[in-house]
Amino acid sequence: MSIFPKWTNWLPLVLLIGAMLTGGAVTAGVWYYFTPKYTRVGYEPVQPVPFSHKVHAGELGIDCSYCHSMVDKTWVANIPSASTCMNCHSQVLKDDPRLAIVRESATNNTPIPWVQVHITPDYVYFNHAVHVARGISCVECHGRIDQMDEVYHAKPFSMSFCLDCHRDPAAHIRPTDKVTDLGWKWNSDPVKAAHMQEVNGAKFVHDWKVQSLQSCSACHR
Amino acid sequence: MNSTPTTPTNANGRRYWRSLDELADTPEFKEWLHREFPQGASELDGQNRRHFLKIMAASFAFAGVATLGAGCRRPEEKLEPFGQQPQPDYIYGKPEYYATAMPTRTGAIPLVVKSYDGRPIKIEGNSLFPGSNGGTDRYAQASILNLYDPDRAKRFAKDGKTVSREEALKFLDDLSQKFSANQGEGLAFLAESSTSPSRARLQKIIAQKFSQSKWFTYDAIDSGIHQRAATQAFGQPVKPIFNFDKAKVILSLDCDFLGTEDDAHNHIRKFAQGRKAGEGMSRLYSVESLFTLTGANADHRLRVAASEIFQIAKEIGFAIGSRVNAELAHSVWPRDNDVTPAAVRGKTGAKWISECAKDLVAAGKNALVVAGQRQPLEVHLLAHAINSALGAIGNTVTLISAEENSSADLELLNHTNVETLVVLGSNPTYNLDGFPKGLGDGNTPKPNTVIQFGYYEDETSVISDFFFPAAHYLESWGDATTSDGTLVPIQPLIQPLFGGLTELEFLARVAGESQTNPYEIVQATFGGSEESWKKFLFNGFNSDGKASLANASLLGQTRNIAIELAKASREKTVPVSKDHLEVIFFRDAKVDDGRYANNGWMQELPDPVTKITWDNAVLVSRKTARELGVQNGDIVEISLNGKSVKGPIWTQPGMADYSLGLALGYGRERAGRVGTGVGFNAYKIFSGKYIETGAAIKKTGETYVIATTQSHWSMEGRPAVREANLEEFSKNPDFAQEMHDKEPPVVKSLYPNPFDEAKKTALHQWGLVVDLNSCVGCNTCVVACQSENNIPIVGKDQVSRGREMHWLRIDRYYTSDPKRQNNRSLFDPNADMNQTDAEQQFAEWIDDVQAVSQPMLCQMCEAAPCENVCPVNATSHDEEGLNVMTYNRCIGTRYCSNNCPYKVRRFNYFDYSKRPASALKGPFYPTPLLNKTDGKWDLLSWFKAPEASGMREEDEWDLIKMVKNPDVTVRMRGVMEKCTYCVQRIQQAEIAQKVKAGASGNIRLKESEGTIPKTACQQACPAGAIVFGDISDSDSTVSKWKSQPRNYSVLGELLTKPRTTYLARVRNPNPAMPDYHAPYSMEEYENRGGEFHAAEKGNS
Repeated sequence: MSIFPKWTNWLPLVLLIGAMLTGGAVTAGVWYYFTPKYTRVGYEPVQPVPFSHKVHAGELGIDCSYCHSMVDKTWVANIPSASTCMNCHSQVLKDDPRLAIVRESATNNTPIPWVQVHITPDYVYFNHAVHVARGISCVECHGRIDQMDEVYHAKPFSMSFCLDCHRDPAAHIRPTDKVTDLGWKWNSDPVKAAHMQEVNGAKFVHDWKVQSLQSCSACHR
Repeated sequence: MNSTPTTPTNANGRRYWRSLDELADTPEFKEWLHREFPQGASELDGQNRRHFLKIMAASFAFAGVATLGAGCRRPEEKLEPFGQQPQPDYIYGKPEYYATAMPTRTGAIPLVVKSYDGRPIKIEGNSLFPGSNGGTDRYAQASILNLYDPDRAKRFAKDGKTVSREEALKFLDDLSQKFSANQGEGLAFLAESSTSPSRARLQKIIAQKFSQSKWFTYDAIDSGIHQRAATQAFGQPVKPIFNFDKAKVILSLDCDFLGTEDDAHNHIRKFAQGRKAGEGMSRLYSVESLFTLTGANADHRLRVAASEIFQIAKEIGFAIGSRVNAELAHSVWPRDNDVTPAAVRGKTGAKWISECAKDLVAAGKNALVVAGQRQPLEVHLLAHAINSALGAIGNTVTLISAEENSSADLELLNHTNVETLVVLGSNPTYNLDGFPKGLGDGNTPKPNTVIQFGYYEDETSVISDFFFPAAHYLESWGDATTSDGTLVPIQPLIQPLFGGLTELEFLARVAGESQTNPYEIVQATFGGSEESWKKFLFNGFNSDGKASLANASLLGQTRNIAIELAKASREKTVPVSKDHLEVIFFRDAKVDDGRYANNGWMQELPDPVTKITWDNAVLVSRKTARELGVQNGDIVEISLNGKSVKGPIWTQPGMADYSLGLALGYGRERAGRVGTGVGFNAYKIFSGKYIETGAAIKKTGETYVIATTQSHWSMEGRPAVREANLEEFSKNPDFAQEMHDKEPPVVKSLYPNPFDEAKKTALHQWGLVVDLNSCVGCNTCVVACQSENNIPIVGKDQVSRGREMHWLRIDRYYTSDPKRQNNRSLFDPNADMNQTDAEQQFAEWIDDVQAVSQPMLCQMCEAAPCENVCPVNATSHDEEGLNVMTYNRCIGTRYCSNNCPYKVRRFNYFDYSKRPASALKGPFYPTPLLNKTDGKWDLLSWFKAPEASGMREEDEWDLIKMVKNPDVTVRMRGVMEKCTYCVQRIQQAEIAQKVKAGASGNIRLKESEGTIPKTACQQACPAGAIVFGDISDSDSTVSKWKSQPRNYSVLGELLTKPRTTYLARVRNPNPAMPDYHAPYSMEEYENRGGEFHAAEKGNS
């Protein structure tokens, strides 16, 4: 008579399967939940001023680079100074209480504490100017900002997200004058548009000598 | 109950929280959480304590839930834009460049400073400046760290207590009024020399207003002797400019013009220009006692005691005189028989002198004789006399009119009744022995008030009654005159960080001027129109304001004065011997006179010759060490003229026997957290004479650890540095390529290098060449690299473990006559190659050595051994040929470093950037487990307070991080790093070109368009010895250099295919000289390998 009951013969197998299932679940969980696709996308902090991109960029059709004026000159797409807002709002809605902070900022030169939505990690040296100048639209990374009331994080910003485009720039490139036109399409017919992207994308990549930079030094220094 | 919020449940019964949200969602609770201190928190009484604890528990849980609910989000960050745009053309994130200048004691270095969002981060030379190649010196490169030094003076102080700025300025006004009443009776200034016209103007105003006041110009290390000697020799106020580029034969009389003399970067540039490998390159003779950079770069070097240099100069002068005009020679160069340092010279020495003289005469007006600033006046006068006899004045020596800083005789400071002493910038308590005691030698009382104007609260601040913080030159308006007499502006890049005053404002206030704004003072001095003023500021120099060339001829009696002076000093001189040692005090290549003592970059910079970091040492020759029975690290007591100082011994190859070399500037007592207590203070036995005889040494029995970055001195016959004589080079220009070690035959690789495929897609192929013929080993590139690439300092303890972080190091090898080494069969291929470091210091071969310097940085191997062994692909190749390092991938296995044949990879053993300054100087412990600090176990104190053990304080870190280059990652503990060819500059250049190209294909950087970036080392190099560029462009300079026959790869036989290559060095010795031979390194190589059978080398 053994001191171990018979079911214990199954114990190693049960443990093994259990471990595999647990391990699999943990792996799958980390795989899904610990990626920027889950952690970043949809992040929509409340901003100190209820500024609507939908109204300004979408309905009024103000060009992105009117406010983000340095986007084609430097690595960062600047948040405009309050004095930029006052270019219009000294006349439009000039006593609106929602704009009190902006007026104060423009008068006293105190910063408005906007909450940062899109962040690249410190070890990534992303440069806005070069992307914008070479036909990569804002929409590629930021989504349809012109349809957002409150800006939210639309794309995951993971390394594979960057690499997808870097591996195949032809699929994303567009004429440089359409970069800030977020709703722009080659054609209203999606099939035709896709075809035109393929043809023109390849042409742009060839003519502009667009490099498919995949070396570490392209982004990390 | 007005403090804690209530829960929404019934207050009487037991309270249950159904959910945390139920509690946490109440507005009161939220508000309470948000407020830092709940209202009436101090009134919380016992009745509510339980409740309070519950709430606290809930709030902690709440925080936890909040974290989970929000996912693993990064902490919320704010973007705070300007309320009003600062300038219309301001672009955030784009660096701006401003022209300014760094004032030195006898000149100024024109600079262009990079400012990133209002904070200066990198200093470069102003390449627009006439003659400049954009090079700087190591002091200029390192000076930016002083701006952000947390230990710099931050306050106005009275008797050591902080006072307000207003109070301090009022004190100055009162002072001014008080002394204007009595014409400055009892007022004295102790100021450092300066080339600022504005200061000179203020000095004159002060002299007029306070006619009874005294102005003393005092420099701890005096570089003004060149000007004084020329003024005396030529009988008018002139300053010599030495044109090393025009000189064909140069004789240096103990003049370290490439190393520690003022204005060395200009000398290096000109010297390199005159020494392009090939026919017509200059020849350098050096007579010296210390082994200096100049001696290391000399073709012939005579090792004599510094006190005997005058005798040598005289004999050379005699030999020259007898060739030029025999009669003249005997009358003006009388050979006196009193002192014959035969031991030094002997038969070879005599021949050395006569052949050197012959060569100088043959060069005629293209010869140049320079005397060192530590040599006394008579040597300088003789040098001028020789130059004049050779006809060199006006050609290799040009004279410009220049006024000296006027000064009362410093001796008077001890005998004048000084009531108020104003100390401007200098630190006399530290470097003027006897100060301030000498100020009251019984007859005269000590000054009532000492007012100090200084950058640090230093040793002098202890005795000063009033302290004024000085602004850094990057915070100041000012002006200065460069060594060639050009007026340059000093423009501020930033507001004074701690409210410091500029020297001009300080003096203007003392003078009681109404105009105290330094900007206005400088503009008033400049005069000129608004347009020319703007141009002056924009260019960074005034091209019209150049000093005029002086047309002067040597006064007839100069030689006699020199000889009389020498006779007088000779009487006091004892011939050097074991018991009458000679002491040479010299300006340190790193801390200068002590002013850079608190600069960590400078402290950690290896000395160009000794490679010692974080210390100075008593430098002695092998023979002297043997006879005195001392060895490296023995602490000895040196006594001289009744004073003594203790320091550790360091055997210096090539040093003259019976000379002690003492670097000034160390042993600071109040330098700051970095510099205090580093080294020993040689000023204690210094009396203003840089060469003294009659010192004695006593062993104390103590020993000391010296941290050097290169403990092994020899190349062991390996051809890392390749050299040939000019004669051999002319016959066999390919010598460098024939010198490599036996190379395995190249067979087709089993494994194709993926880079061969990748590089087809690239626009550029980067490469770098170092011309060893131009490089003098000055170390400027090392500091420039440190500044550009955020390289941390690690401290003495870590350096002694070989953990220094410099991406670019300069290897200095000593080579010597293999015949002397053969006795020890060192170069027998079968013998044990390794001579231990302890053995080296007593090996006879080190007596008469040659030295070679080689900048060693990442070789960017096309077949990089480091890449193959990285388990995580953290180091890899990009298509443009860079071996790149991805810090965020690195897990710190250090395999790559082990596999690197060049040893250029650096590992962050600690979080060096954030380690506190207190960790820099030690402790030396075998292991942290077994060490005690202040009687407590280190491990225990770490366990008790881990956070206190090793991070900089936040406010200190806030200041230090301002110097960091935002384009380069600040590396943390556990990652490997190495030279990147300044990948950030490459990327920025490529991006700028692509932005410009827009929708076009013009994205290639071209040298012809000036779009190729410069690496930091290249930009800083005063010699122009480094060239970086695109090797796929056959017209680029780098391609042209690489196609020269002198081009070779280090360890190329390993088939690593380095992108960094070197141009071999060519020496130009005189075949008639007794010590003519092939470069020792080549002799060593042949002796070891026996493979290299080049053409005749003309060996005698």
